[in-house]
Amino acid sequence: MNNRINRRTFTSASFQGAAALAIGAAAPQGWLQSLAANLHAQPNSRERVLVVIQLSGGNDGLNTVIPYSNELYYKSRPKLAIPKDEVIKFNAELGMHPSLRGVADLIESKQFCVLQGVGYPNPNRSHFESMDIWHSCQRKDARGTEGWLGRYFSLSSQLANADTTDSLGLHLGSEQLPLALVARGVQTPSLSSIDQLRWKGKPEENMAGKEEMELEKKSAATTENSLLDFVSASTSAAIQASERLEKALASPDSAGDFPNSQLGEKLKLVSRLLLADLNTKVYYVTLDGFDTHANQLLAHAGLMRQWSEALSAFHKRLNSAGLQDRVLVLTFSEFGRRVAENASQGTDHGAAAPAFLSGPKLENSVIGTQPSLSDLDDGDLKYHTDFRRLYATLIEDWLGASSKQVLASEYAKLDELGLNA
Amino acid sequence: MNSKSISSTMRLEDIDANLAWQAWEPSQEEPWDLRRAALLHRRSGFAATAEQLRATVAIRPDEVVAKMVQGEPNPSFEMDSFESDSVDLAKSVLATSDTKQLASWWLHRMLNTPTPLVEKMTLFWHGHFATGAEKVLDVELMHTQNQLLRQNALGDFRNLAQGIAKDPAMLIYLDSISNRKAHANENFARELMELFCLGEGNYTEADVQQLAKCFTGWEIRRKQFRFNPYQHDDSTKSILGQPVIESGESAIDCVLASPHMPRFIVRKLFRFFMTEDAEPSDAFLAPLAERFAQTNYSIASVVQMILGSRLMLSGWSIGRKVRSPVELAVGWMRTLNCSTNLGFLADRLKTIGQAVLFPPNVKGWEGGRAWINSSTLVGRANLIYELIQNEMTRFDRGTFQEFVKNNNVSDSVQFSNWFANHFFVEELSIAEKDHIQRSFKASSPDRWASQTMIYLASRPKIHLS
Repeated sequence: MNNRINRRTFTSASFQGAAALAIGAAAPQGWLQSLAANLHAQPNSRERVLVVIQLSGGNDGLNTVIPYSNELYYKSRPKLAIPKDEVIKFNAELGMHPSLRGVADLIESKQFCVLQGVGYPNPNRSHFESMDIWHSCQRKDARGTEGWLGRYFSLSSQLANADTTDSLGLHLGSEQLPLALVARGVQTPSLSSIDQLRWKGKPEENMAGKEEMELEKKSAATTENSLLDFVSASTSAAIQASERLEKALASPDSAGDFPNSQLGEKLKLVSRLLLADLNTKVYYVTLDGFDTHANQLLAHAGLMRQWSEALSAFHKRLNSAGLQDRVLVLTFSEFGRRVAENASQGTDHGAAAPAFLSGPKLENSVIGTQPSLSDLDDGDLKYHTDFRRLYATLIEDWLGASSKQVLASEYAKLDELGLNA
Repeated sequence: MNSKSISSTMRLEDIDANLAWQAWEPSQEEPWDLRRAALLHRRSGFAATAEQLRATVAIRPDEVVAKMVQGEPNPSFEMDSFESDSVDLAKSVLATSDTKQLASWWLHRMLNTPTPLVEKMTLFWHGHFATGAEKVLDVELMHTQNQLLRQNALGDFRNLAQGIAKDPAMLIYLDSISNRKAHANENFARELMELFCLGEGNYTEADVQQLAKCFTGWEIRRKQFRFNPYQHDDSTKSILGQPVIESGESAIDCVLASPHMPRFIVRKLFRFFMTEDAEPSDAFLAPLAERFAQTNYSIASVVQMILGSRLMLSGWSIGRKVRSPVELAVGWMRTLNCSTNLGFLADRLKTIGQAVLFPPNVKGWEGGRAWINSSTLVGRANLIYELIQNEMTRFDRGTFQEFVKNNNVSDSVQFSNWFANHFFVEELSIAEKDHIQRSFKASSPDRWASQTMIYLASRPKIHLS
């Protein structure tokens, strides 16, 4: 690990812009556009992958990205506020939670971006409803039975010639399939273990050799049974995917160095699948436990560490495999938490919170202003960036699809992310 | 007998609808044989044992189908204590609060029932009136709904629709546990028309709003349906062109009376029994829709027409369906008289995409080619592998090797032919037979049977019915 730079304080030219703004003031248009997005030449967007990490329960954004120079922060949270000298500062106003050393490294290598003040109008403070809103982009009284990613899959498979049966999305985990991935006519598999993609039994018991499969394909093609052809072709594809996976697993450092945590295991699995070069475009994982109504300090610190270490290991693995330009990670939570702490040394459901992107070159490490700690919405931070704009940006600029069709509405993109193809 | 025939390679649009739905009759060119009997059992149920197939062939096919739709067991489908076993199992499951165990209870029924069509239709309606236990949470309510579906599975669709509209599990699943005058809940009204009865595009948004008003006052109290007159909007409503609708019940009848309803339902039945791989025109399905309407929506009548038709039994339908996970696993187990740990089975079925009682969403399971992708193909082969390896698995109470021997099969090649005759839609290819000959013929005596079976489980054609 490179210890040359003091982890507690580091500065970066791109933060001067953010520091120049008074906290809470609306961002003037000029400075965001002017920060050039200097991404490397983009590979074909067909090869791009999105990994979504959902922090379930409502992550306390205010203790994640900390406005340490604001006295109100300490006044509102006498017990929970992180002491100034423990914060990992990255400019005169903002810093990260002390457990987020890995994330700080990513900021330093310009592979991380904090999106401030993300939320939506009329915040819903119910878990399920707010999570559903983030997943479906619709309020409850409208029909939210499909997710934004599910609709993206549905749209894409209509456009593609569907010669692969590998689903565009993959949920890794044994929890129920997140609504974000659901859409009519779309089946996104849930994988809880890599074993689910590995044939059991001995090789001779499974598939005939490749030559035999070829022979079969030829004879199948003459039977005019298109369904059998389809299944045969799919079986070939499955064998190939499985073989690639076996190769990836067999190579000596295929696993990489991942922490032994829940999220660490999940991201390790994602990285192995990425290296096996399946056709999946979206991987989705969740980490639970963020609903810290009581005794938040230790619990939140633990979760922050888990996220930071797993994310850091993941990007390290991708960097070493040369995949950093192809894989973008979105980390979000269904709402933030209230500014003031409660009587149980925890915080209650809030509204706006930061969202996080990581992976490829991200010139701007912070986008958007820190929401005001005094001008609140019933005790909660006010949002200024609608999360659907974030989705629209990811859909158009990263995944290369029509956000208007996927989200059934137009939302202005966040050009300052610089993800343009 | 009609001299025109339906060749198996004909496209649907080139087949005459009246010809297709005529009752099939055996002939010299198209005999009533084991192959057709196996197809009928695969489609109407979950495959059958060798003995059951032989017994089936001894009876006229129209009688076989008639018995099925009447809910009577066909010969050799015996299980005297089946119903009482199932009731006992249900009792112990209901005593737990575990909805997953309820899934095991249902799998037990599918594996052992002497009337598989009833269970198959229950599964069909479960996918149609999709309700997920992860949201309903209550074992009793899920069980009650399942029984409702079973009792009406081959009955009268109007009874089924009226019943499911008041089913507490359904109302919970659709977030319709209270529908208030001041704020009518449109979700249920929409799903009733879109998903249950008419299909998209066959009603208007105004219809949804009006229909929602008809259901105001429909509530659940203490896990039972209750009508609350104080919350009922009794203004006059107009739905689908009918001007005065009083109650929720009459509103449902109004929806059922739409000409789109029979077409919608019979199309789903066509997809379920015949094929999901070809889309018939409304005209092609008209004879089915007419039968449905003329018999006052008798589900049994339509199913009988489909199962006994020339389109089904002449040979056209063979290989045109992808086996669902349940059809694959339960079918394989029934053919081999297999029993195993049902919780384990339920778990494996979930892995390959079909957790019964836990449909993926309100639309149920997509079916057809959607069952097949890299992960499910591996999973399906692995499921059979794991079933064979599982120490609780028995074949006719013995090991797999013993079962095979008792069926007068003495080597891997013989076994693969036997298995193909009973379970596959067509013979093994030359390449496959060669492979079996080379790889397993010389295997040790206690292994060649399972090894051959594991190989056969990886064949693409095992996924077809």
